[in-house]
Amino acid sequence: MDVLQVIAEPRRRRILELVWDDELSAGAIAGEFDVTFGAVSQHLAVLKDSGFVDVRTDGNRRLYRANKQALGPLRQVLETMWSETLDDLGAAIESDLQ
Amino acid sequence: MTAPLTVSRRIAAAPEVVYSYLTDPDKWVRWQGSHADLDPRPGGLFLMAMPDGARARGRFLELVPDERVVFTWGWIDHPGVPPGSSVVEISIHPEDDGSMVTITHRDLPDDEIEIHRAGWEHYLPRLAAVAEGVRVEPDRGPGGQSS
Repeated sequence: MDVLQVIAEPRRRRILELVWDDELSAGAIAGEFDVTFGAVSQHLAVLKDSGFVDVRTDGNRRLYRANKQALGPLRQVLETMWSETLDDLGAAIESDLQ
Repeated sequence: MTAPLTVSRRIAAAPEVVYSYLTDPDKWVRWQGSHADLDPRPGGLFLMAMPDGARARGRFLELVPDERVVFTWGWIDHPGVPPGSSVVEISIHPEDDGSMVTITHRDLPDDEIEIHRAGWEHYLPRLAAVAEGVRVEPDRGPGGQSS
């Protein structure tokens, strides 16, 4: 799968966002949004295979974290996308408050 | 090396009621998935589609009425857990007026155990609820459960 296909899927971007600055277990990732365990498992496998997330073993647990370096120029694209979404949200809240 | 994934729960319903939710596709989708195609006999198809498009597929291995259902399991388009690559056993033991139900999922790669545990821990309470006659929300996955 080419790198753009990997991040074109919104649920994979959401997983990346969740593990961007925090290390999370697969169970915690699954609990964060409305996606079934089959889909989370599939998306995590794609992200692992692409090298965009790293996995660390801690006892019986597997902890996932984004590998920002592996994303290369896509790192900036994603960060811009997320900050713009936040800016949009902030603007929407402000206009609601006025 | 790895202990099998096991999730257990008491269900306040008779074993034959629980069993019916494991073999009747219309009843299966009340607790898991949005579509099921089940041919509950040894060698028969097990196919269950999740609302987000993930599809689990396998074959029934063993069925003991009101006691046990065993089937192979894997995800279509998931090379890590391909269809038929792991085995799910759901056993039902009568206990007082209800059932003790245990789901055991074997032969998963180590990396996949935790996410599948989270899955079954989400679904077993849903199976309990529907078997006990309680309505549950349509399946939206672990994050979709507000409780």
